[in-house]
Amino acid sequence: MPFRGLLSLLLVFGVLIGTAIGMLAQADPTTITDDQVMDVARSLYCPVCPNEPLDTCQTEACYRWREDIRQQLAAGRTHDQIIADFVARYGERASAVPLDPTLNALSLVTPFVIAAIALALGAVVVLRWRRRQPLSVAVSSSPMPADASAYRARLEEDVRS
Amino acid sequence: MLAEVGLIALALAFASSVYAAVVSLIGARQHRTVWVDSARNAALLTFPLLALSSAALLIALVTEQYQIAYVWQVTNPTTPTFFRITALWGSQQGSLLFWCLLMSLFAFVALLVNWRAHHRLIPYFITYSMVTLAFFIGLVVFMENPFARYWIVPDATAADGVRVVYGVFIPANATAPDPVRLAETARGLNPLLRHFGMIIHPPMLYLGFVGFLIPFAFAMAALASGDLSTGWIRAARRWTLVAWLFLSLGLLLGGRWAYDVLGWGGYWGWDPVENAAFIPWLVGTAFLHSVMIQEKRGMLKVWNMVLIIFTFSAVIFGTFATRSGLVDSVHSFAQSAIGTPMFLFWAGVTLISTALIVRRRQQGALQSEQAFAGLLSRESLFVLNNVVFIALALAIFWGSFGAPIVSELFLNTDITLGPDYFNTVTVPLFLVMYVLMGVAPLSAWGAVSGRSLGRAMIVPGAAALAGVALCYLLGVRGAGALFGFGIVIFAGAVAVFEIARGAAARQRAMHENPLLATVRIFTRNRRRYGGFIIHLGITIIGIGVIGSTLFQQETQRTLAPGATLSFAGYEMTFNDVQTGQIADDGRVMDITRLTVSRDGQTLATIRPRHDVYPTSPDQTAIAMNIPGVYGTLENDFYVLLVGLQPDGSATFKVYVNPLINFVWWGGLVLIFGTIVAAWPHEGQQAPARLRRSAAAGPPKGHATA
Repeated sequence: MPFRGLLSLLLVFGVLIGTAIGMLAQADPTTITDDQVMDVARSLYCPVCPNEPLDTCQTEACYRWREDIRQQLAAGRTHDQIIADFVARYGERASAVPLDPTLNALSLVTPFVIAAIALALGAVVVLRWRRRQPLSVAVSSSPMPADASAYRARLEEDVRS
Repeated sequence: MLAEVGLIALALAFASSVYAAVVSLIGARQHRTVWVDSARNAALLTFPLLALSSAALLIALVTEQYQIAYVWQVTNPTTPTFFRITALWGSQQGSLLFWCLLMSLFAFVALLVNWRAHHRLIPYFITYSMVTLAFFIGLVVFMENPFARYWIVPDATAADGVRVVYGVFIPANATAPDPVRLAETARGLNPLLRHFGMIIHPPMLYLGFVGFLIPFAFAMAALASGDLSTGWIRAARRWTLVAWLFLSLGLLLGGRWAYDVLGWGGYWGWDPVENAAFIPWLVGTAFLHSVMIQEKRGMLKVWNMVLIIFTFSAVIFGTFATRSGLVDSVHSFAQSAIGTPMFLFWAGVTLISTALIVRRRQQGALQSEQAFAGLLSRESLFVLNNVVFIALALAIFWGSFGAPIVSELFLNTDITLGPDYFNTVTVPLFLVMYVLMGVAPLSAWGAVSGRSLGRAMIVPGAAALAGVALCYLLGVRGAGALFGFGIVIFAGAVAVFEIARGAAARQRAMHENPLLATVRIFTRNRRRYGGFIIHLGITIIGIGVIGSTLFQQETQRTLAPGATLSFAGYEMTFNDVQTGQIADDGRVMDITRLTVSRDGQTLATIRPRHDVYPTSPDQTAIAMNIPGVYGTLENDFYVLLVGLQPDGSATFKVYVNPLINFVWWGGLVLIFGTIVAAWPHEGQQAPARLRRSAAAGPPKGHATA
């Protein structure tokens, strides 16, 4: 019986300590600055407005969402956790860049792949042209010949009225 | 009466454009000059008819004819006369009519200017331009008619025995609604549009968009007629430059409007509708460079066709995206039924154009006349520059439309790609663009050695290094920023260097003073030296973009009256606030007064304010935060009033935007350069290669389609 009493006492003490630690960890929301809130809001989009970043949206709903961010920061949640929470609640469109790995890869990798393909095609076309036709080295009247005096002569001819 | 006049003129313009398109095609195919003349006259007629129709709507807006639904939607009795005029393009129907008017104006001028010089192309030019115009007029007539009116008709099922209907034609037994009641309930212009930037931003953008119709129609005319010599290039190039000028102006004014009105401290938010206007600008820029290769070397004939068609296709797609409700944006019009026909038109234009190119290519009519002589030649560098522009256009298209649409269609997930995506993807490409902007003018057409190109880069390269050193001395830190500034300065230094070299050469050759020599090189070769001014403008814009993007500082604070905030070297004192101030147009303003000082010296008093526009009970109130700005060449101290607290304190969002004014000044330089490059030159001759080609006539074996 004394053992059970001691155990109960310890349990109560433990709960009290835990609550105190939790309260200490949860900062007063008024200590969270607007700049901290905006730092997170900048990575989010208003879930209801047309393509409006959350840090600049002026609707009442967005003021409330920014307060929500403040509360979450006060509760000790990180930037990424808050973004994940918004995405969980409002879908991927709430984030400025998709969190889902497939969507993220689809979004960010595709343009580089397109650019690489375009570059490769351009290179192939240029090389094919060079192979197919005899070189015509008909240099035009534009600048950049082999030596500066020749360049000057052509430029002077070009600018002479 | 006004509605009837506008409607009849609109219907006649539609009939006239259809007639011109059909008759010019028949005339071209059957070689009937009289038919082509008749088609030209009908095409010319579309402009005065659309001007009459637009004038009718304008008079209705100014004289408060609220029975016309469009007038009721975009104005109300408090709307100032000036904004009544700009309300012509304030909503879908009016802006579509205005779009048609500008398109017909371009076709009108192009026909008058090019009629004699390009008579082989003109019949097909009329066909393609008038088909496009007829499509847009058709949208106005049949789907988005700005002359539809409200009527009251008997209805036994309604509580009061009548109901209000909306239509172009007068219904049976209809009576006109009470004008007083209509005036009381009229909605008024969207407050976002009540800004100088928005007054001229849409017309400039529309001029840029519709202007690309002319080079596109000439390209299509060349493909259809088989006259693929050089005539279409000469006709199209200057029109492309004109369209590009207006599009550049539209983009710049749009950025300025966003900075002044949207209240987020920036000028470019990578919004889908902004991007929809930027994509044709990028492709059009690629075309303006690439077309030089065809003029000088007779190369890239297919590619140039592809580029101009892609540019116009991007214009139509951008219009479709903005006006169909495809994307949500602060810039877009409401959802509309015109989405499907616009999509079909866009797809049709793109497919037909592509098919014509393939056909001509198979016939061998688009073969290059020269081979690429070296990878460092100017034409090779221009090709690389084209790849970069197209990659930029595709990356921006993907982020704005491609990825969101693919994700929604195939993964059932709605996504938004914001500045993080666009900055990651576009910055490397923009840097390559600036490098090429510097190197390509130093190269030459034909064969070039790496050694000679390297020698030509010494002076501008040294200038760029000096610029980087200066940036460092002025306090710029960070390898990325210094690298970016270095590349951008290099591109600008090349432009200055080339102008100086040209002037010096002329000074020596003609024994003129430096100023006269500089003026003369511009008058003699406006295109080349106007191009260098454009490059200089792009350089200045680049400096502004790097400064305002990488070094922007922001904070948000709540201040009690009399309190001072120290931020980024400035002190800002919140003096007082006047709440509930009512402006002439009925908006309710909360105006704060702030003193901005630096090192104890008062610099300015600024008044950031919060405006709320009155709306009818069924509408959501529209609020705007108008910034207070203290601007210098070094930076802008930009303050927004975010909110007023019950205790009298106010919350402010403060931005310091370094070098942001370089963006606007660079824009002005760019516009000046474009005007110089596009300005007609009396007695100007085409390049020698073109003159030879034109004299020889079109290549044999190219039958008329």
